[in-house]
Amino acid sequence: MIVSELILPVALVIGVLVVGAYLVAVLDEAIAGAIGMPRGGSAWLAPLTQGAWLLTQHANATEAPDWQAWRLAPALYLALAAIGLAVVPFSPTLIPTDLVTSVVLWGSVEALATVVIFLHGWSANTLLALIGAYRYVALGLSYILISMFVLIGVALPAESLQFSQVVTSQEGLWNVIRQPLGLPLFLIVGLGMTFWGPLNLADSRDLAGGTASAVSGPPRLVWNLARAAMLVAFSGAAASAFLGGWLGPWLPGPVWMLLKMLAVLAVLLLIGRLVPRLQPERCVTLMWVVFLPLSFVDLIWAGAAAFFL
Amino acid sequence: MDYPLIVDVFFVLLATLAVVSGWRVFATDSMVRASFFLLVSFIAVGVIMILLAAEYLGVAMFFMMAVEMMVMAIFMVMFMMNPAGLNPMMMVHQHKFSIAAGAAVFLVLATVALLAEFPDSPLPADLDPVASLGDELLGDSMLIFESAGIVLLTTMIGVVVLSSHRGRYGAADEGSMPPGLVPGGDPAGMPEEDDEGDGHHHCH
Repeated sequence: MIVSELILPVALVIGVLVVGAYLVAVLDEAIAGAIGMPRGGSAWLAPLTQGAWLLTQHANATEAPDWQAWRLAPALYLALAAIGLAVVPFSPTLIPTDLVTSVVLWGSVEALATVVIFLHGWSANTLLALIGAYRYVALGLSYILISMFVLIGVALPAESLQFSQVVTSQEGLWNVIRQPLGLPLFLIVGLGMTFWGPLNLADSRDLAGGTASAVSGPPRLVWNLARAAMLVAFSGAAASAFLGGWLGPWLPGPVWMLLKMLAVLAVLLLIGRLVPRLQPERCVTLMWVVFLPLSFVDLIWAGAAAFFL
Repeated sequence: MDYPLIVDVFFVLLATLAVVSGWRVFATDSMVRASFFLLVSFIAVGVIMILLAAEYLGVAMFFMMAVEMMVMAIFMVMFMMNPAGLNPMMMVHQHKFSIAAGAAVFLVLATVALLAEFPDSPLPADLDPVASLGDELLGDSMLIFESAGIVLLTTMIGVVVLSSHRGRYGAADEGSMPPGLVPGGDPAGMPEEDDEGDGHHHCH
């Protein structure tokens, strides 16, 4: 009982997060190489080399930071990624935590991520990190609402707030087809909560690294790892909510799930490398004026489809 | 009631965390830290609610409070003369009144907890808390909750309109002027200027 209820779920979550975060780094490196960005060495080794290098570096100190918050924020962000992945079902039986409100818990992970990312930039007590933190709050408060409406949309046909029920409800037709606006909007949420690519407002180049601009050594390694891990956890949520999770012919459920997560990751990383970063003001306008109304449309669509079909 | 001992252990740990972080809200010297200590306190209470089988309310507490404390921290920083919330500041005021009020409220609540007759009606094991909560929200109590919802929505729209970058009379960063009563006329409703000037206001 201890093995099936404690050790197996924890090992599964940690395993998927670590391997997934490594694959994110490798894929990103490979995509960068494929579109002609200069890079050195093999894509498989580069993340390990960089990780080992960060591990040996000295952890930077700034003038009068909020030490507890500054050191805790990367660890908390990583913990949120683990909590998010813990509610993602890999098969009808292989679910780390089958909470009846797992979709809502995923929403809480998104909201708490905003707090943690803000805290990471705020606690460093340096200018660029602080600007990154405040920019991120503007983005975070914008994507949370979009995410809520999109997730209510997938909960409607399932008549449940449980990810495993959401997957079961897609046996006839996956949500990606049933609610065509859902997945694109949810991908925007994913880029937002990992501040990746076009939505990298927190740690962007124009802020010399933003919230991470003054972080070096092991804390920086944890921060980078946590971002990649959050992307992995997000891909799990997206695959269960829109791509039918473990459903699929021939192959066993968990394999389908991992393949779908990889597909979501590949799309996100491609967007991250191909789409330029948005200006913060424009980004907020776009979120509230275009994407939020689109998420209303998605919800009405989902409700009508659940009612009439 | 039949439950494992670990539930009690977690209850004591979480209750201690909730109380200690609640106390830290007032002992810390920063608005941002105070907000997030309050968030930790609420999260501990949310987990206790999950232990009490209120799975929806407990989890809802996490995201409601996360967003709420984030917004509260931002608003406090915006309204206080404290750049970015970085300067140390005293988080309590009116000490004597606050201590008296706190002691009185604690006494009342403790009396209620000790003396009240709590109903003893164990719930059936197969009760679905999410569905029963949904029935309550959209059933008999629908009018109350929907009225509250409409009021909150109106407030939110009002706040967005008031704080919008594009105001009724132009963009916020350009400075806004009400239009004149006649086309091209002076801005309407402006106070009389008593300092020197040609009487023709600057308007767009």
